Amino acid sequence: METTATLRFLDAPASIAAFKHAASEDDIEATASACVDMAPREFAHPTFDIPAINNPVEFLKHQTSVDAKNRIKIQHGTTTLAFKFNHGVIVAVDSRATGGSYIASQTVKKVIEINPYLLGTMAGGAADCSYWERELGRRCRIYELNNKERISVAAASKLLANMVYAYKGMGLSMGTMVTGWDKTGPQLYYVDSDGQRLKADLFSVGSGSTYAYGVLDAGYKPDLTPAEAIDLARRSIFYATYRDAYSGGFVSIYHVKEDGWEFISRTDVNDLYYQYAAEPKPSLAA
Amino acid sequence: MDHFPGNWGNPRSRDDTYLESNDYLPGSIAQDHPRIRAEKTMSGFSCDEYISNPSHMPRAHTQQPVVTGTSVIGIRFKGGVMLAADNLASYGSLARFRDVERLLKVGDYTVVGASGDISDLQYIQHMLVNLETKEKYLDDGHSLGPKNVFEYMSRVMYGRRTKVNPLWNSLVIAGVKNNESFLGFVDLQGTSYQSSTIATGFGGHLAIPILRKAVDQIGEENMTEEQAKKIIEDCMRVLYYRDARSLNKFQRATITASGVTITDPYSLETDWSFAEKIRGYGA
Amino acid sequence: MGGNIEHRFSPYTDNGGTTLAIAGEDFCVVAGDTRQSEGYLINARYSPKVYHLKNNAVLATGGMHADGVALVKRIGQNLDWYVHKHEKQMSAPALAQMLSTILYSKRFFPYYVWNTLGGLDENGKGCVFSYDPVGNFEKQHWSCSGSAGHLIQPFLDNQIGHKHQSNVEHHLLPLDQVLKIVKDAFNGATERDIYTGDFVEIFIITKDGVTVQKHDLKKD
Repeated sequence: METTATLRFLDAPASIAAFKHAASEDDIEATASACVDMAPREFAHPTFDIPAINNPVEFLKHQTSVDAKNRIKIQHGTTTLAFKFNHGVIVAVDSRATGGSYIASQTVKKVIEINPYLLGTMAGGAADCSYWERELGRRCRIYELNNKERISVAAASKLLANMVYAYKGMGLSMGTMVTGWDKTGPQLYYVDSDGQRLKADLFSVGSGSTYAYGVLDAGYKPDLTPAEAIDLARRSIFYATYRDAYSGGFVSIYHVKEDGWEFISRTDVNDLYYQYAAEPKPSLAA
Repeated sequence: MDHFPGNWGNPRSRDDTYLESNDYLPGSIAQDHPRIRAEKTMSGFSCDEYISNPSHMPRAHTQQPVVTGTSVIGIRFKGGVMLAADNLASYGSLARFRDVERLLKVGDYTVVGASGDISDLQYIQHMLVNLETKEKYLDDGHSLGPKNVFEYMSRVMYGRRTKVNPLWNSLVIAGVKNNESFLGFVDLQGTSYQSSTIATGFGGHLAIPILRKAVDQIGEENMTEEQAKKIIEDCMRVLYYRDARSLNKFQRATITASGVTITDPYSLETDWSFAEKIRGYGA
Repeated sequence: MGGNIEHRFSPYTDNGGTTLAIAGEDFCVVAGDTRQSEGYLINARYSPKVYHLKNNAVLATGGMHADGVALVKRIGQNLDWYVHKHEKQMSAPALAQMLSTILYSKRFFPYYVWNTLGGLDENGKGCVFSYDPVGNFEKQHWSCSGSAGHLIQPFLDNQIGHKHQSNVEHHLLPLDQVLKIVKDAFNGATERDIYTGDFVEIFIITKDGVTVQKHDLKKD
């Protein structure tokens, strides 16, 4: 009884398939209502309560703004980077979450392990990133079940971009990099809550990104060894935490390889400070 | 999108080109958004406000009180609870109606006192009368006690605030059932609490210190009905002296194990000679 | 409504209060003060905001009291449905994820609540989860939030996490020491935060169930 209920979508796989390939907004709407009829609730689009007022967007904007009397401070994440090189993709992030000027946490996991072959990063609204990337993981799994093969990074990142694009202008805040290794090799995409989706070899996202880019661009080349690449990524995040007040905590590093991602390290920025300070520096010119 | 996450999805200045406030006038993107439309078909609960309105325009609610009543005060004493509220309904600074009863008897054990918008008070009265009637028709041996009324009003008030269509009142719910005294508060935002002393509006500033001092000194379990009456009347007198939207004509409800009594409207002796001695502010 | 000053309706209010949770080896402690405030008024001295749930997890809610009550009712209903469906109680980590999803379902009309959830995981070890109002959450060993959260957190970092102490042996504290720290934390917060005081209620979760202690705090 229970089994037939939860697997009812198998009787009507078209509802899930059409749902997944929905390209335009009208398709999303049409398939969303189709899903209600065909698929169990677990496979339907998530729904959200909307305040019943003239202008829900302005309402939320007000409640999260600095001049709101009872301000809802949403935790924000901050410096992240990822780059492709000859041995895959390196992903590096800090671990600080701030609500206003308060450091809400120094131990946030900003690399989201979507599945053993896909990673997402977190910048912007922490809840927005973790919720939508979890939803992405669920959809990637359904894709695997339907197609008997893993989803490409291009398709996965597009799923994410389409999902958040449907809420454009409603206050979502997400700047993420989706990366992994598929049939076509290592892949890296940037997706944000405006619906923008970009493909490139190198990205940095967040308030500390400018500092990270400075270090990263100076040292980046495609033929870095894995050890060099990891060191470059770590230094880039470290110097971002050094200059950007909204970044800090620990530097976490992942390496995406052909057989999936591997967790490399998690280092306290304080230890890195003393480690880098001990390195010989060229002296100033007289 | 800039590189500072604090600004994302939360535009604060006109420089943000991707979100102009004009874009969100009623009937614009917010209502016609595909996701909101999709949700209408999927979840009647989340967007019933949109559904109930054929034009798909959200209903405009009256969002301010018009004819208002001022403080309600309440105190628990040994074996009972006492409430008081004056009979004035103000229209701004005009003392518009001088014979409004703001203490409602609900069932055999409960009194609800209401401050705030009088029309919303009358709507609440209508609801509670209906509730009482339904409860009576059930004839299942259960009768509404103060805790039931309190829980019911908490859900009604919170439900309305969640629809952003509040009942603009602060309610005090008092009663005794099965030898248990009850005194609780609910307001337009759904905030609720129970306490041995409660006062709404100006009473929160002027009456609460007097009520709490009495409870702290005498103790709830030692306070007689006579003592409670004196304390309540002292509070009503102070409120009349200082609350410009009050009236020296009020009712007092006493609820004990032997039932509910609500007095006819009456007045207190006042002595304004103290006013001569006030120097400085407001004199 | 004494002054009739307020004319535009805000569905939100802040009722203050402070909560914390600390995980031990085989126990978890969740505590909160019981004062309910609104602006400079103290509504009630005993209005609990820490809730013992049916699956023996304990949820501490700070922020808007009415939203907290509504949220706890919704969680309670979901816990009941889970029991009917699976014939067992939901684990604390499962509840932690569910709470996040519930909070996010109101992403565009958030519950104005800061949650801290404490319980025992599937292996009987203490676990603590802390949340922001829209459902971002993190598993931690200790956490505190609410009006004096920023006052207590560094104290806990130092006393529970031994942060900024050199040459100290790292170990999980026993229950009696944790309880002392909790009481110190709340007494300290009461001295410096106007929205914290009156009583502190401490819930202790062990494999044998949940016990509650109530202690006085200053009432000024």
